Amino acid sequence: MKLKKEFSDFYKAIRISSETNALREKRRVLQEDIESKLPDILKKHDISITKSDIKMIDQGSYKYNTTIIDDVVDRDVAVIIPLDITKNDDPRKIKGYLRDSINIASRTVYIKEPCVRASYYENEREWLHIDLPLYARYDEKLYLARGKETSSNFSWENADPVGLNDYLCEKINGNAQLRRIICYIKKWRNEKYSSTENDHEIPPSIGLTLLACDCFSALSTDDSDDDLRSLQKTMKSILNKFSIKKDQNGEIISASLNCYLPVSPYTDVFIKMKESKTHMITFYKRFSKAVANLTSAVQLESEHDAGEYVQKVLGPVFIVPAKEAVAAAAQNRREHSFGD
Amino acid sequence: MTVREVLETYNEISIDKEITEEIIIFTLYRRQFLIFPPSKDNPASTALLFLCNDDGADFPHIMLNNETLLDSPLIPKGKYRWVCLYEQESLVNSIVSYEDKISDSIERLIELLSMNEIEKEREFQKEFMLYWNANSVEKKPYSVYLTQEDEFAEMDVYFGESNVRIIEKGLYLSDINDRDNDKRKWVRHVENDVFFIPISDNRGIYPPRGGNNWASQEIKNIVFSQQVEHISDSVFKQINCTIPKTQNIILVFGMKSEWSNVTFAVKIKCKNNVRHSLLKKILYDIVAINPLTTERKDYLYFNEQLGNDIGLLKKKVLVVGAGSLGSYVAFELVKNGAAHLKLYDREMLEDDNILRWAYGGVGVGSNKAKIISTLLGLLHPEIEVIAEPKNIDERSLIEETSCSDLIIFTIGNSDEQLKFNRILKASQCAIPVIYTWLEAGGKYSHILYVNYQKKGCFECLYTNENGDLINNRARMNSDDIMDTAIIRNGCGGTRAAYGTTSLLRTTAALLDIIQKVQMNELTESVLVDVSPESVCISCTTFPMEACKCCGN
Ligand SMILES: [Zn+2]
Ligand SMILES: [Zn+2]
Repeated sequence: MKLKKEFSDFYKAIRISSETNALREKRRVLQEDIESKLPDILKKHDISITKSDIKMIDQGSYKYNTTIIDDVVDRDVAVIIPLDITKNDDPRKIKGYLRDSINIASRTVYIKEPCVRASYYENEREWLHIDLPLYARYDEKLYLARGKETSSNFSWENADPVGLNDYLCEKINGNAQLRRIICYIKKWRNEKYSSTENDHEIPPSIGLTLLACDCFSALSTDDSDDDLRSLQKTMKSILNKFSIKKDQNGEIISASLNCYLPVSPYTDVFIKMKESKTHMITFYKRFSKAVANLTSAVQLESEHDAGEYVQKVLGPVFIVPAKEAVAAAAQNRREHSFGD
Repeated sequence: MTVREVLETYNEISIDKEITEEIIIFTLYRRQFLIFPPSKDNPASTALLFLCNDDGADFPHIMLNNETLLDSPLIPKGKYRWVCLYEQESLVNSIVSYEDKISDSIERLIELLSMNEIEKEREFQKEFMLYWNANSVEKKPYSVYLTQEDEFAEMDVYFGESNVRIIEKGLYLSDINDRDNDKRKWVRHVENDVFFIPISDNRGIYPPRGGNNWASQEIKNIVFSQQVEHISDSVFKQINCTIPKTQNIILVFGMKSEWSNVTFAVKIKCKNNVRHSLLKKILYDIVAINPLTTERKDYLYFNEQLGNDIGLLKKKVLVVGAGSLGSYVAFELVKNGAAHLKLYDREMLEDDNILRWAYGGVGVGSNKAKIISTLLGLLHPEIEVIAEPKNIDERSLIEETSCSDLIIFTIGNSDEQLKFNRILKASQCAIPVIYTWLEAGGKYSHILYVNYQKKGCFECLYTNENGDLINNRARMNSDDIMDTAIIRNGCGGTRAAYGTTSLLRTTAALLDIIQKVQMNELTESVLVDVSPESVCISCTTFPMEACKCCGN
């Protein structure tokens, strides 16, 4: 199988298998702060909950083990409190209370549309942020607090974070090749969007993960997985999901891709990107470029040449094997002594 | 082609100065290099490349010291660092043409300079110890002795004349109490607690190099990193709950990967916070760090480096018989990963034994088992060979089976072999037993592996289909060869004539069989015939159904 060792080395180089102790410590302290301060803050606003009412659960890639090395560690922890959303119909206020409970000098805290974010800096560089989506449990259902602090656009959105976790864990756990393919696609995204500042322009991890699960093609040859062909086939079928419109000159004028959450609220995960046509067109163009490069890699005989195409997709961490001619020449002259 | 002509074929290269046609200074990727051609008189030579006036800190394989060898009036004054492009003895240079050698070295230089971060990290990690030890200011090297590489461990420090030993607690070195004229060779120091911390994920860990010296941040990053966890959960827990008793401590890090296995020690000076755990000390108390020149010296490490089977390391091997074959077998066992032997033999070494004795003429007149024990102990302080200067009897054999992991009989006397076989069968011996013996004449030898939990035993070889006892069926010598091969030296004393080839052959085959037993590739009892032509499973009928010892 082509580039087996290179893919295996690449995966080892990019993957994160578990939360570090440093991160766990930050999360533990954050959780303690929320548990000890949030009930008192809420009490001042006539909302009564106890410490044990607050539930915090892991969400995102750490849960199903598809985390990769990135400039900033991104951690998602859902905060769930019992709350009557008919009485407290402004989620922005409740998010504000959550922010107040954790707002201390050692972290930078601010409200984002779907969550409250706590960022951590070292030597003036952000190294970690913990995103806290806030859920109200009301009438046996969970509602996500949406809306920025000053935005007029806000709502309690029915959601099922536990169901989403279960769905993805069931798909991914026990499927090692799928897990690797998800990591590769996320790495591709990070490489191609490394200079993009605006979150809304970047395909979200959850979207890429769901697409990879839907379109995954397991491929292996003689007892070992063929990650190159699996990645190529999986990305190819994701690409086929795009619907494209072109003008008379063949120029792409719109690109669309539908991918819905498999659980409540069943919303489109690319909804933010769709606010601008150009974001989706860029996404499509970059994605089809990646598929073209991977297809070349699959078709090429030489491992070196194939590796160069894969490196275009996955970045310099993917190591291109030496040219065959050079490698063979060196092989011929390699000393056959035992060493000393 | 000249060096100049070869260089001109590369677009990336611009020639700056031609010292001669063959010695040239050129620029490649914004760095300047000096090239010397391979010697035309010496077919084994390669081209030599030096980096000019640059500390090369960003690149692996650039030597740390400036070369002073280049004191030639032709060569401009400056700093020259040798670029190491060839692993020692990795290529057969004599079959490569002059031009190919030059272009090969340029290709390698281009490859080196085009390395990406991941490739550089790997190369730096391969050469980690070179950089680490070059950065140390301590004069005495620290020799590290470990029994394992995966768990946190406390260690002891012993100072000696020329080096310091750091020894994992619980590991006994046989020479640690040695004296030189009443003075201890190794003195235990207790002013620093010492801990071994294995690094299980080495991503992003670089050695100190040109201006990037290690500080407390690098140490913190190992035990409490942001993104990649470098140590295992259990190691972290122990760092978190261990409370050092001393203010300053020594940390020994082990970093093992597919491409390298390095161990490096560092002394950390700390603020005096008495109740701080090791973790808190590392995170908050470090005021200075002092890298120590480090070298691994333990038996585990040496065996791993040679690719020995480390499964034998903690096993106890009983060798019965320290004659010719026993001496070779014991010697090779300890060189192949067995550190704990016990030897039984009551004989003394005599002058006429020496040419078939693995250790030369030391100790003539002393007990054979004791000589072997003393000499093997000198190989490495972890080797422990216990000598019993007597022949083993029934009671001790049964005792030994309960505390050994493997028994090897290297005696040739059939009566004794048959007797011990009966004892082991009767006691339902649970450990593997190997009998090995040479036939008279020294041409043939045999190795019998017996699993006493299954069919087959030594007596099978002396039993025919009817269950009657007969002479050894495995014999490959004809009777007349036997007659001529025996040397008579009066009073009926006989000795089989053979040189050391059959000892070496038998010992090698025995080591292979031990390895197979170790790996559980051999579980059924089996007889192996060894001859100058082959080592193979014997066609002698074995096991023998009618055997009165192991049959029904
Ligand atoms: Zn080197
Ligand atoms: Zn038998």
